[in-house]
Amino acid sequence: MASVRKLERHQARTAYLFITPTMLLFLVFTVIPVFMALYLSFTNYDVLSRKDWVGFDNYRRLLDDNLLWLTFRNVFLYAIVFVPFNIIISLSLGMLMNRAWRGVKLFRTLNYLPTLTSSVAAATVWIWLLHPEFGLVNGLLSYVGITGPAWVAQTETAMISIILVTLWQSVGSNMIIYLAGLQGVPEYLYESARLDGATKLDCFRFITWPQLRPTTFLVSTLSIIGALQLFDQAFVLTQGGPANVTKTPVYLIYQQGFNQLQMGYASAQAFVLAIAILIFSVINMRMTKAEESVI
Amino acid sequence: MKMKKWLMTLTAMMLVTSLIAGCAGNNAGEKNKGNSMTEEGTSKSGKPVELTFWGDWGGEGQAQFETMVDAFNKSQTKIRVKYVLQQDMITKFLTAATSGGSPDVLFWDRWRTSLYAPKNVLHPIDEYMERDGIMRDDYYEESLKELSLGDKLYGLPLTVDARALFYNKKLLAEAGIEPPKTWDELADAAAKLTKWNGSKLEVAGFSLGDVGLFNMYLQQAGGQMITEDGKTNFNNEQGKQVLNYWDRLLNQDKVYKVGFEQGLGEGQDAFVTGKLAMQFTGPWMLSTYKKYGKDLEFGIVPPPAGPNGDKGSVMGGFGLVIPEGAKHKEESWEFIKWWLANKDNALLWAKTSLNIPGYKPALEDPFFKDDPLWQPFMETLDFAKVRPKHPGYSVMEGDALTPNLQLFQQNKQSIDDTLKKAQEQGDKLLKDNSEVK
Repeated sequence: MASVRKLERHQARTAYLFITPTMLLFLVFTVIPVFMALYLSFTNYDVLSRKDWVGFDNYRRLLDDNLLWLTFRNVFLYAIVFVPFNIIISLSLGMLMNRAWRGVKLFRTLNYLPTLTSSVAAATVWIWLLHPEFGLVNGLLSYVGITGPAWVAQTETAMISIILVTLWQSVGSNMIIYLAGLQGVPEYLYESARLDGATKLDCFRFITWPQLRPTTFLVSTLSIIGALQLFDQAFVLTQGGPANVTKTPVYLIYQQGFNQLQMGYASAQAFVLAIAILIFSVINMRMTKAEESVI
Repeated sequence: MKMKKWLMTLTAMMLVTSLIAGCAGNNAGEKNKGNSMTEEGTSKSGKPVELTFWGDWGGEGQAQFETMVDAFNKSQTKIRVKYVLQQDMITKFLTAATSGGSPDVLFWDRWRTSLYAPKNVLHPIDEYMERDGIMRDDYYEESLKELSLGDKLYGLPLTVDARALFYNKKLLAEAGIEPPKTWDELADAAAKLTKWNGSKLEVAGFSLGDVGLFNMYLQQAGGQMITEDGKTNFNNEQGKQVLNYWDRLLNQDKVYKVGFEQGLGEGQDAFVTGKLAMQFTGPWMLSTYKKYGKDLEFGIVPPPAGPNGDKGSVMGGFGLVIPEGAKHKEESWEFIKWWLANKDNALLWAKTSLNIPGYKPALEDPFFKDDPLWQPFMETLDFAKVRPKHPGYSVMEGDALTPNLQLFQQNKQSIDDTLKKAQEQGDKLLKDNSEVK
């Protein structure tokens, strides 16, 4: 017994040793800045000349900052469409790529490729593909007699364009996560279900989907956070336009802090965003954990 | 017990690590101090003073800056300047300005002055100007205005620019049209130059892609963006004239289609490929367009005058400033004076970078005076005005005016609603961002 405990202790010691550098970096570059930002959100900090305590002034100003609430509305709309589609498409791709047919590895790689592309570079190419007169998308549409819209320039389609581009870029990595999840589903569950006469749909409904619940939780949490922090694709594709329909909170926070030097107010805006993300993640957790996993 | 011991070891390790980090920090700090000490020491004993010059121009721009720096370093023995490329210059300067790592000379987007000067991070140069007899008249008054706050001047203009009308000579000649001089002539010419193929726009007569140019049109209509007391000033007769004119071009004559130029890179630039006949743009496009030689014959005229004969264009450009945290302000001024208050050097800069220099005497040179592509810009600069010096101006333009103008361009908002909403939202943003100190 004693020797077992000694071994455990030795292992624990090594484990702490290994995570120490990461935890230190996490503390210095993540935890401490969060508390500093919280403090700054109660000041009129401008980086250069002042840092006076202003109490709740910044938070009061938030209340009638219509532009900020508009950007929140934009990312909520984005998230409502983006997150479900992200899950459906990456799960379907994962199930498709989980089979053992010839060349499946090639297709897995191809589906993962967009994720490896820099988001700015990819968005730049997409602007060109979506060009109203000379773009590939409208070129294909014109073959079937449709005059395509000015995708990124029109208020109706700008957000749709961003959803399309970000989906294209993010389903690959989520497909990999789902693949890992699918390969962890024990084969005997399917075998015994088939013996009981379950159809393919039953297998999915009662085995695959419940077994994948932790995976779905991970994918949905990551995509909710990513959606609410949307910035680079929206910035490159539309610069927040047309008519502010694709402007996002992160864009506004950056502008307020670094361009207008109102770092205190920008910190207050950032905290509202952080709280929004927290609320949505908790809701998501409740929804995915509603039913207990089969095993 | 087990836990406690571990906690102690962990704490100890963290302490040690932070101590190491702390030491490193201190060392670096002392090293810097040591350096600056020796620098000051050597400057007295005859060795040159080292200046750091920050800019965010890389590539060709960096080479142009380095040409000037090398020429300055060769011209004398007391000061050595070194150009340092800072990709994210303004953010870097924010921390450097307060923590002691400030550069000696800073490449400066002039419109930022109204936001930074009140925070005492820029050094006024009025005393140097007076002492060395540098004449204010040698610069465009508007460009100096943009570098000033109150009665203090914070730098000298390095470049000046303004938009003028670029036109495709071949397309105009085919249609038998002279370059337009008034709004009416511009609209007529644009209508004649436009070619549609069904619902597909093949050649746009005139570009309306950049709603940010509203300011320029408003000046041509005889208006101004902001009142003396810092409120928007476009929900009026002049603002209506501009939008009526856009309505005529966009909806009646259909000379443009929203989104037409979006996403076209340099190679597919609509003006280069002959898909756009006329546009407002600035001297920064000259070197790009000149590359195409015979394939793109283009001419330039000053922007057409509005209905009452008013002319307008927006002056922009860069300057050089001395940060308050600079260690060698005297020497920094020597460098700036050599570059921006000397005809030969200003001209060398102009010819190297193909920019219009801020120093007017250099513009007397035949290089500018006798060139038909530069000449229209000289004319335009005589009446061009800088953007209003309100610290919230760019936010007002970007977040209140532009979005409403885009709704108008897409026929989702009437002229009256557009101006009214832009005014309401704009006034609020101006107020929220007016306090700088």
